[in-house]
Amino acid sequence: MRTISPYWKKPGNESAGSSVSGRPVRRVTALLGSLAPLVVLLVIWEIAAVRLDRPWIFPPVTRVLEQLAHPLREHYASGSLLSNTSISLLRVLIGFALSAAVGVPLGVLMGSVACFRRMIEPIVEILRPLCPVAWLPFAIVIFKLKTLPQLFGLSYTRTIWDQVQLGMIFVIFVGGFFPILTNTLDGVTAVRRNYVLLARTLGASRRQVFLHVFLPAAMPMILTGLRQGLGLCWFVIIAAEMMIGSDSGIGYLLMYASDNAAMDLVVAAMFIIGGVGALLNYFMRTVMQRLVSWKGKEV
Amino acid sequence: MPMNDATHNADSPLLELRGIGKRFRSESGTAVAALCGIDLAIQRGQFVTLLGATGCGKTTLLNIIAGITGPDEGRLHLGDDVKVGRDVAYVFQHYTLFPWRTTLANVAFGLQMRGVPRRQRRETAADLLARVGLAGFENARPHELSGGMRQRAAIAQALAIEPALLLMDEPFGAVDDSTRAELQQMLIDLWQDRRMTILFVTHNIDEAILLGGRIVVFGGRPGRVVRQFDVDLPRPREKNLKPFTDLFLEIREALSTGID
Repeated sequence: MRTISPYWKKPGNESAGSSVSGRPVRRVTALLGSLAPLVVLLVIWEIAAVRLDRPWIFPPVTRVLEQLAHPLREHYASGSLLSNTSISLLRVLIGFALSAAVGVPLGVLMGSVACFRRMIEPIVEILRPLCPVAWLPFAIVIFKLKTLPQLFGLSYTRTIWDQVQLGMIFVIFVGGFFPILTNTLDGVTAVRRNYVLLARTLGASRRQVFLHVFLPAAMPMILTGLRQGLGLCWFVIIAAEMMIGSDSGIGYLLMYASDNAAMDLVVAAMFIIGGVGALLNYFMRTVMQRLVSWKGKEV
Repeated sequence: MPMNDATHNADSPLLELRGIGKRFRSESGTAVAALCGIDLAIQRGQFVTLLGATGCGKTTLLNIIAGITGPDEGRLHLGDDVKVGRDVAYVFQHYTLFPWRTTLANVAFGLQMRGVPRRQRRETAADLLARVGLAGFENARPHELSGGMRQRAAIAQALAIEPALLLMDEPFGAVDDSTRAELQQMLIDLWQDRRMTILFVTHNIDEAILLGGRIVVFGGRPGRVVRQFDVDLPRPREKNLKPFTDLFLEIREALSTGID
């Protein structure tokens, strides 16, 4: 999504991701303006938590920050905040890459071949409303607790890869797959016929039209799908890691800490989950602005 | 036009239409005749303007010539050396450029499709951009260009494939008057330099006379050729001289009979 510049701002002056521009003094004021409510909230939280004095229910913000300041501290032999976050992120990136690798080509194919779409769409429409986490029991039965290295014949690598269970990957794949597929499909369907005709009269073959018209014209929607997909993957992994059968990941650590009444750690994990999600979204948005700067400016 | 004809050896017309007809099905399901019994021959090197009111089937005729839709009846014959999808370029009124490509890449599109090496096609495209007055805008995207500049780029894009026949569907319909006058002059210069054949659709009588060596007046419901005028006014043509205004009145009369 692109922010609309107000009329008093010169176009081309905006940098990606930041809507604040102009002189440094104004920039600092703007930054203070957007941080102030957050600071006020944290202060109220701190005062309330200290007065309540029940940190196992409502931990003071200082104790949460203290946890966040020690990301390498081991908790109950289940790893640190950092190691568990890395595990979750690795699972998500693998599952997301798979869903993109299947979802984008399938969407382009369905969008450009009508009979193929008629065949596939009923299946998609039935499976799509299903919450990805509902696939987990099924996935665990199918894949047992098999990990990615085991898939390639390695038994135990003593690396982070041993934490990448195929069942988890499958659930994340399902989570990312549908937004990617449907957005790609919509993008391809909405390609202006004019561009196709223009390419044909300029001598493009069917394959070239596919490559040089459908794919770039659908790119904004494909990237929107990827952004939504990645966001949903991150949603799904947290939920999946909180389920029975999981033994690592930031979602698992959150659940484990909760069982041990370590609320400061629970809230610290929540902060991390939110922060990583925001970063992933920011990253995808930046990529999008780079790749499809022409979006919404068709003339 | 004769001066252009002399340079081509073939005497046969570049494009010949015989009894072209086309029907569309309206929303209520009844068949509506869009074109009926179109006979038209275009000689090599001619600049033909197709003049008619909006909605009288001019665009449909262009689409049939470009091979986008097929006619329901009649025959279309292009010169033996002319192939649709290779030698017939089409400039639309809107969405004339790919928004995801730079101006240079847009002009080079046709050459890229036929496998011309990258450096060579970029050179050709840059030359063409300079020719249509867009030097320095190679890396701009279409949305960064003005309406007139976009049509210049679209013309360069069409010329890049060195078309034998250039179809233009009200290409200057969406630009302001002074820009239109510049574009018209540029198009005439290009036509005279490159000795190509142009079929130019417009609903503007002035534009039809200013550009055309021949004017085909179109009537509506169903679309048909009402009358043809050969224009031998010297170029550049001056709108305020008597021969121009006489022709204007005559054409306007022909147009009004076509509407009734």
